[in-house]
Amino acid sequence: MGPIIVGGLLQGSVFAIVALGFALVYRVTGVINLSQGAFCIVGALTMYTLELTLGWPVPLAALGAVVATTAFGTALGAATFVPALKRLPNSSMLMLTAGLLTLIEGAVLVVWGSDPYDLPAFSGEAPADIAGLRVPTQGFWIAGTAMIVILTLWYVLSRTMLGKQLRACAENPLAARLMGIDVARMTLLSFTLAAMIGAIGGIVVAPITSLQFDSGQFFTIFGFIAVAIGGMGSFIGAVVGGLVLGVAEQFAAGYISSLFSNALAVILLLLILLWRPSGLFATGVVRRQDVRTEQQIHLGIVRFRGRDAVMFAVLAVAALLVLPWFVPQSSGLLSSLVITGILFIGVLGLDILMGYAGQVSLGQGGFMAIGGYTAAILAVKYGWPPLLGTAAGIVLSLVCALVLSVTTMRLRGVYLALATLAFGLLVDSLATGMMDVTGGPSGLVGIPSFSIGSFSFASPLKMYYLVLVLIIGLVLLLLGGVRSSFGRVLKAIRTDQMAATALNIDVARYKVAAFAISAALASLSGSLYAFYFHYLAPEMVNTSRSLEMITMLVIGGEGTLVGSLVGVALLTLLPEIFQPFALYKRLAEGALLVLAFQYLPAGIYGFLARWLSRFDDRCARRRRSLSPLLSKEESP
Amino acid sequence: MSAAALKVVKVSKRFGGLAAISDVSLEVPDGSLTALIGPNGAGKTTLFNLLTNIFPSTAGEMYFYETPLNRLSPKQIAGLGLIRTFQTARVFPGMTVLENVLVGGHNQVCRNAVQQMLWLPSARREERELTARADAFLDLVGLSRFRHDAATDLPMGAQKLLEVSRALMARPRMLLLDEPAAGLNDAETAELASLLRAVRNNGVTVMVVEHNMSLVMGVADRVMVLDAGILVASGSPQEIRRNARVIEAYVGQQEVLA
Repeated sequence: MGPIIVGGLLQGSVFAIVALGFALVYRVTGVINLSQGAFCIVGALTMYTLELTLGWPVPLAALGAVVATTAFGTALGAATFVPALKRLPNSSMLMLTAGLLTLIEGAVLVVWGSDPYDLPAFSGEAPADIAGLRVPTQGFWIAGTAMIVILTLWYVLSRTMLGKQLRACAENPLAARLMGIDVARMTLLSFTLAAMIGAIGGIVVAPITSLQFDSGQFFTIFGFIAVAIGGMGSFIGAVVGGLVLGVAEQFAAGYISSLFSNALAVILLLLILLWRPSGLFATGVVRRQDVRTEQQIHLGIVRFRGRDAVMFAVLAVAALLVLPWFVPQSSGLLSSLVITGILFIGVLGLDILMGYAGQVSLGQGGFMAIGGYTAAILAVKYGWPPLLGTAAGIVLSLVCALVLSVTTMRLRGVYLALATLAFGLLVDSLATGMMDVTGGPSGLVGIPSFSIGSFSFASPLKMYYLVLVLIIGLVLLLLGGVRSSFGRVLKAIRTDQMAATALNIDVARYKVAAFAISAALASLSGSLYAFYFHYLAPEMVNTSRSLEMITMLVIGGEGTLVGSLVGVALLTLLPEIFQPFALYKRLAEGALLVLAFQYLPAGIYGFLARWLSRFDDRCARRRRSLSPLLSKEESP
Repeated sequence: MSAAALKVVKVSKRFGGLAAISDVSLEVPDGSLTALIGPNGAGKTTLFNLLTNIFPSTAGEMYFYETPLNRLSPKQIAGLGLIRTFQTARVFPGMTVLENVLVGGHNQVCRNAVQQMLWLPSARREERELTARADAFLDLVGLSRFRHDAATDLPMGAQKLLEVSRALMARPRMLLLDEPAAGLNDAETAELASLLRAVRNNGVTVMVVEHNMSLVMGVADRVMVLDAGILVASGSPQEIRRNARVIEAYVGQQEVLA
């Protein structure tokens, strides 16, 4: 009991530190900053370089690491977070910060590689003995630091003028601006402080955990769960949430299995979200309500006009049909094309959900996992034909989607996005934890090729045409849907739920439908993925995959159905064509997502489409007149 | 006389200590064109929000053709045929003018999403018929030429007209229009007046919140006046014009005038 509680409190102190960073940015900007955890890693690894590679003494190295990370955070915040906040709705900000997380992970990967790093404890490895309990000395550093961070933050926010200004930005940014407060500066300040807090947390925890480039996700997720338990934006809540989570996590690891301890944390999060969406210590700070429906989105309209569209579509399909002849059979390129197609199916579903219905899902990978594992396990262990297994996967995904959307119906906007994140993590940790069924972290092997009856799609070429036919069929189906009442209603819900409701639209039903479509397509994509690779491991369908799919969709073009193909192809084919690019893939993904959000709101496809139909628009503008009612007779 | 389209019985709404609506009772006859006027903050929009249950009333009952509205959701109320527009036009951004109107007609679509996805001839035909109707409504408000433009690119006045045509597309039994003339010039307002008359003549009961007195006095059969959450007068435009309390509410107290 004793060691578990002590370990839990130590772990919890770290969660609490990270959670404070979350709460701070949320209080000031209303944004859940998913990049928070990444600063822990940057801080810890900078410390490693300064202390062990350059031989600086510990205090100096710690100071240097905090200063360097803070400076990095300031620069990143000023370049991305602050300018984006003015333009993007909160849910897009959530994904932007997911992009920042990926970007920082990618940068760390380039600088420090993928090895895990360990720091020596600040004051020796020998544990202290307190009343019979062995406590690692680093524990005192962690607890002490947490205490200092909490007290400092409390003092600054509640006792200084600066704190008042920060809080004013939180309550009402517009009024704050009118009072002469530089809201952009306060936003940057909160982001910077959060980066600093993250760095401090990373540095003190590094000696008791080994860290690598993608451990930031872990800190982000647990820091966030801590905040959600405590109550968004509440500092006391962040601390209590962190400690509760730390202890719960250690108990789960001690009494059940460390493989499931993540699952337990996620279940805790889901329960809290359902039972008390505002957390244990609700602050009453209700920030801009976070659906993707804010007035600040000015969505352009991307569409080719009638005949052009048909012509482009025919040309594109013809090109895709003959494409394999121009691809050298020996290279892996054809295989990459197949993967592009398979992922595109999943991204198509995401587009219906995000691009049309305006819901954010960070759990698309979870449905891919359900589809992939269901089909694969049925095929490997029970000899089910792939077609049947795929169908079973889709049914199971639909059931999960239905349960998830019915239980989370009360949640809106960002909370819904977070429930899907939790779902993805839950599936991931189950896939990792249930060794006997899924093969655990090392994966499931010996999955057969996809087949229909006795015809097996064993070669990449056969698979290519199978996927192509599927995609053409799916795009036609979805196109029929989005060009009719169904699609229009989804778009209406995306942009203004209240106006939609006032027109007798059943918002919930349409949202569930969109969620079901996205889940079914993700599941199909996951099954095909498993049959194509003949192998499935949790890391192929985890949260990184979900984020990657969002990136593909956003840089390709949301709400355009086919546009995301550009994004999928770019991120799948580029690393294949330029092998050296592989190391930079994650960095590039993050950077592309962040850039696309800021500079290409309609994605690459939208940009191209607008460029191609510019001439039409110019004619249309000439036909415009200012007074609609009186100029009826002038119309051509 | 036929049954009341809308019946409001002793409805009140408090926001904390502020009584936004106190004890308002009113009846809107079927097939009438009723104007609701009053100074800023009188509670006109609040009354609309209570009727469509955007937020619940503190006390009182409301009936739409004898169906009680209190326990219905905004969606169900719209389903009864009571369709509203908003004070600040709420067109759907990211959609064209035509698509905006088409959304209003979603409840008349009989083919389901699956049939639409399969491009069934019946679904496409239904879509064409819906588009023809939407075009007719756009023509009625004079926005046909903008049908493929982004709705949010229209000037504010035109967006309000777009909202009216979208509401009409939903086949309302009764329309609640919140300041439809805001952002229109005098000539356009006159066009709007004839549009409102045409709507009423087609059997749709209309209730309109409006500041523009020439519009109100020109088109309304009945005028109701709210001041500080209290219904102070109700009657024909001529009666209202002479009503002392109305003059007081609008121009201030008598002695100031004297």
